[in-house]
Amino acid sequence: MPQDRDTGQDAARAAAHAGIEHLMDTLLPSLIAKVATLNVGELEVREGDWHVRLRHPMAAGQDLERRATDRSAQRSHAGHDAVGAPAPARPQAITVAVGAVSAASNGTAPTLSPVGPGRASDGPPAREAGSGLAASHGQIATSPAVGIFQPGSAAVAGARVKAGERLGAVDMLGIPQDVVAPADGIVTSIMVEGGMAVEYGQELVGIEATAGSEAH
Amino acid sequence: MFNKILIANRGEIALRILRACRTMGIEAVVAYSEADRESLAVQLADEAICIGPSDARRSYLSVPAIISAAVVTGCDAIHPGYGFLSEDETFAEVVRAHDLTFIGPPPEVLDRFASKEGTRRLLGGYGLPTIPGSVGMVRDDEHALAEADRIGYPVLIKPSAGGGGKGMRMVRTPRELESSLRVCRSEAKSAFGDDSLYLEKWLDDTRHVEVQVAVDRYGHGVQFGERDCSVQRRHQKILEEGPTTALSSAARAELCERAIHAVVAAGYENVGTLEFLVDAEGKAYFIEINCRIQVEHAVTEMLTGIDLVAMQIRIAAGEPLGMTQAEVQSRGHAIEFRINAEDPAHDFRPGAGVVERYHAPGGPGIRMDSHLFPGYEVPPFYDSLLGKLVAWGPDRATAIERGRAALNELVVDGIITNVEIHKALISSETFLEGRMTTNLLDRVGSAAFLAAAARG
Repeated sequence: MPQDRDTGQDAARAAAHAGIEHLMDTLLPSLIAKVATLNVGELEVREGDWHVRLRHPMAAGQDLERRATDRSAQRSHAGHDAVGAPAPARPQAITVAVGAVSAASNGTAPTLSPVGPGRASDGPPAREAGSGLAASHGQIATSPAVGIFQPGSAAVAGARVKAGERLGAVDMLGIPQDVVAPADGIVTSIMVEGGMAVEYGQELVGIEATAGSEAH
Repeated sequence: MFNKILIANRGEIALRILRACRTMGIEAVVAYSEADRESLAVQLADEAICIGPSDARRSYLSVPAIISAAVVTGCDAIHPGYGFLSEDETFAEVVRAHDLTFIGPPPEVLDRFASKEGTRRLLGGYGLPTIPGSVGMVRDDEHALAEADRIGYPVLIKPSAGGGGKGMRMVRTPRELESSLRVCRSEAKSAFGDDSLYLEKWLDDTRHVEVQVAVDRYGHGVQFGERDCSVQRRHQKILEEGPTTALSSAARAELCERAIHAVVAAGYENVGTLEFLVDAEGKAYFIEINCRIQVEHAVTEMLTGIDLVAMQIRIAAGEPLGMTQAEVQSRGHAIEFRINAEDPAHDFRPGAGVVERYHAPGGPGIRMDSHLFPGYEVPPFYDSLLGKLVAWGPDRATAIERGRAALNELVVDGIITNVEIHKALISSETFLEGRMTTNLLDRVGSAAFLAAAARG
């Protein structure tokens, strides 16, 4: 009997994983893109037995208002910037929570153990487009020069881009220096508004790398 | 006056310029390379901007990156510090073309003094004695040999551009000259992008004495006395002091007087230094002018109480000097020890690493200009200067004693420094008697010098 129960649990787990996989591969990238562009605070989507909630902290938007070069703004983020990356360049953090929809009729989902990205359930519980993404599928297109950022037509959240594709340019004394996609993927966020001053190495465009591109 | 200055340099001088800006109430933006992200100047600045990767050619030497940084941060002037682009007239020209001000001599003045050989002729014409040398640049090997014969061996091969001993060789025979020319050309080419060379008569056992001057846009100039930079290792200054012990007080006054007269007459503008070699008989020969703030400017600041960086900024902004020669009063004696990340036990090879502990000495007359802090990682990409320890006293003996105590008090753990050579120097009879010559350390050998001091 214990054997049967185990088999039943395995089957349920396999079904759950298939559901998560579907969410991760198809739903999530476009949701992240939407949240980034809509500037909504929070977005929750249900599909089958699962729900996905994305939260867009307000603080991220305020960061963008600061000067790219303002030290005091950067200092206040010292805790987040262990490697000293300029804080205003921090991407708009999007918190993603995935959990099973409760069977309860009141519709409030009980907090279940959150499932990490991708296929394995031992991943990080939630992802932030900053360090979390960089550690998994996240890629950041950085500034090749000090100058004024001019996003290109491909720099739109949700756009599919190829590695090496031009996402815009940084205008250095009238000479455009191309900002290129570091990997194949989907644009998740534009971290700096067009026309803003950026420094060398500043994070400009967040890209969620598509699964295939990582294997290469 | 300027509203906001871009500091296009690093290390202790970036900090020094930042401090000058603060005292003048001018905003400052520190431009830095990726390797200097954690530097003290960046940490202390109100605003800082990354201009490029660690490779200086793409950051501190990149004209478009620096100017773009100044433009996007809303600066109206750029302070180049020393080294890097500090004496580059093309850079100064481009700065002006972008409606910014280069803090230093205007481009046309830099251009007039760009060639060392041309400057010797120019200032020679205004009464400065110069070392016999080649007439113009040497065109080819044949021309060099003929000129060396006329001057008389030994001769010194010198590049027209740059400094720091690169592309420089002393040769005693025509054969040595022929083989060295090629080496010097390639060294000069790679270091300064200019392989033109000239020859100068080599003077044995010389002292290096330099005069600090400042001239405003209206042709009013003052001199701030001289510094003695005779303690050198392979043409690199390691200890500087003022006043010099090489000249009598009357001879010092005369040299400084002639220097300021010549540069004012030649149309120099802003802060600058005229370098002289002084031979064993006390005869001074003009060798070159440095159109920038120098590492050792702190010696003069300690003697006169004048902020030379602030003066540089005010002159560049078009302000008059606001002082007469009579108002410049030099008091006492000052010695600067350059603390470098160099290993005296291994031929002064430069090092890098993390500063584990750092303590700057203090006490009366002690000044430490340094960008070190505990935990600072000294990047391997740039020069090895970690800081400057300056000791002032009412007389030379007191300055030496204060310097000795300060050197003993200084703590820099985690990286090897050249502090041992300074301790050896200020215990050596030659230094104590004020008889150091530019070739002494190399002739005796720095290692032998250290060993002798250890025995003594």
